[in-house]
Amino acid sequence: MDTGIRLALTFGQIGAVMVAVLLTVAALTLLERKVLGWMQDRMGPMEVGPYGILQPVADGLKLFFKEDIIPAGANKFMFSMAPVLSLVPALIGFAVIPFGPDWTIDVGGVAFKPFVITDINIGILYILAFASIGAYGIILGGWSSNSKYSLLGGLRAAAQLISYELNVGLSIVGVLLLSSSLSLVTITNAQAGGFWNWYFFGGGGFPQAVAFVVFIISAIAETNRTPFDLPEAESELVAGFFTEYSGMRFAFFFLAEYGNMILVSCVATVLFFGGWHAPLEFLQGPESLHWLTGMMWFTIKVYGFLFLFFWIRATLPRLRYDQLMRFGWKVLLPIALGNIVLTAIVAYLFPGN
Amino acid sequence: MKFKEWVKTLLFYEIALGMKATLSHLLHYKPITLQYPHEKKQLPSNYRGMLALLRYDDGTEKCVGCDLCEAACPSRVIRVVSAEVPGEPTKRYSKEYYMDMTRCLFCGLCVKACPVDALGMTQEYEWAVYDKRQLQLNKEQLLAIGDRNYPVREKRLEFQHPNVAYFNVGFKEIPQKEE
Repeated sequence: MDTGIRLALTFGQIGAVMVAVLLTVAALTLLERKVLGWMQDRMGPMEVGPYGILQPVADGLKLFFKEDIIPAGANKFMFSMAPVLSLVPALIGFAVIPFGPDWTIDVGGVAFKPFVITDINIGILYILAFASIGAYGIILGGWSSNSKYSLLGGLRAAAQLISYELNVGLSIVGVLLLSSSLSLVTITNAQAGGFWNWYFFGGGGFPQAVAFVVFIISAIAETNRTPFDLPEAESELVAGFFTEYSGMRFAFFFLAEYGNMILVSCVATVLFFGGWHAPLEFLQGPESLHWLTGMMWFTIKVYGFLFLFFWIRATLPRLRYDQLMRFGWKVLLPIALGNIVLTAIVAYLFPGN
Repeated sequence: MKFKEWVKTLLFYEIALGMKATLSHLLHYKPITLQYPHEKKQLPSNYRGMLALLRYDDGTEKCVGCDLCEAACPSRVIRVVSAEVPGEPTKRYSKEYYMDMTRCLFCGLCVKACPVDALGMTQEYEWAVYDKRQLQLNKEQLLAIGDRNYPVREKRLEFQHPNVAYFNVGFKEIPQKEE
């Protein structure tokens, strides 16, 4: 009986989060084109529906009904597996993100946390691990297409993802030192009570602003977005690793890219900007309304980061490949390491601050 | 100086400048897009669009079948088959008149060459078709284009005096032959 209730609750939660994430992806495809258009004195999509708001539906239908082409000479199994291998890790990371207050309610004798699917004590490691598996989808997709552009895109993705994953991992170590936990729920709870407790502004004793900058740059590189979109550089590689993909398989890669963007924004929000906590105590509202204001603040912060992604894409040109590698290894890596050393010293000298 | 540049690099000064520029475009949003099928551009009055054959106000065709347009055309768009008007041995007309608009480059030389102003350029430009044979126009089609674009076509002012013969002075800018 208990198992039944737990299963039903968990599946319901997973379904709700999936729907929310996929709806956000749909909104993002439109928002990105609109924001880019506005920044470039254009209008963006305007034809489907009023002001083009039904464009995601039209795009989805188009991709759904397109012919599914498998190129001659492609490794059929890998070719069809790669999009799934890329999409699943992008979506699975949301399992440990706390979207709202850390409540535990009792449903028929089962302790149930409504705002986080599962609060495992190695949450952030879990996200990093699955993000690394997502790289396999891109690399294998590029390799199995039997196309030189795809292969080059895949190889670039391999080198880029490995170098920048390292920086992502190192830049969040400071936060982990200060919060002395890997669970995202615990990290969020440690940042309660106003924006000065957020790790970006110096909660826990040492501001992680530098680490945040390293994190956000590496996150942009890890999600293959401009200015680090070398694996899919249009002007050099047609479309990079998904040159040969069409229809729903292409849509999977697309979903994975946007899902990764949302996931990275969620992680940045949780680690550096206090998760669902409001910047000032009174903006959080009464205790009974925390679920609403919590989700609201979380959404606002995540969308802020997503806007930052669009903004950067509208502004910056693509890096050259050697510049990308040099920047990752010679600039970001030492900064991240230095941040770890400083944070460790502060956390040792002033513990429990 | 060196120190200042270092600080600028550390604070992403150049990137911030660029992002300020894009954000200012977002905040002062003034699109330059013309929503083409819904709104159309105001064409200049001398726009050289689709070619058309013209008529006099009484409905008779202006074309006298002189072949000068065919001679003037640089891309051999025009083919004229000239003939006598039946029963009037002094008058000629174009029995058949073809234009292959797939080759036309809209230079307007035929219009200038025409001594009787029988050719005109309209403001039409939406001539995308699924079958390019639809762009090989005959006389009736060209007259229809002329009719719908120039319902009333007066003679040019300098030709309106009754004593002036219908002879155009085309190619004014080209050096003329000595008398």
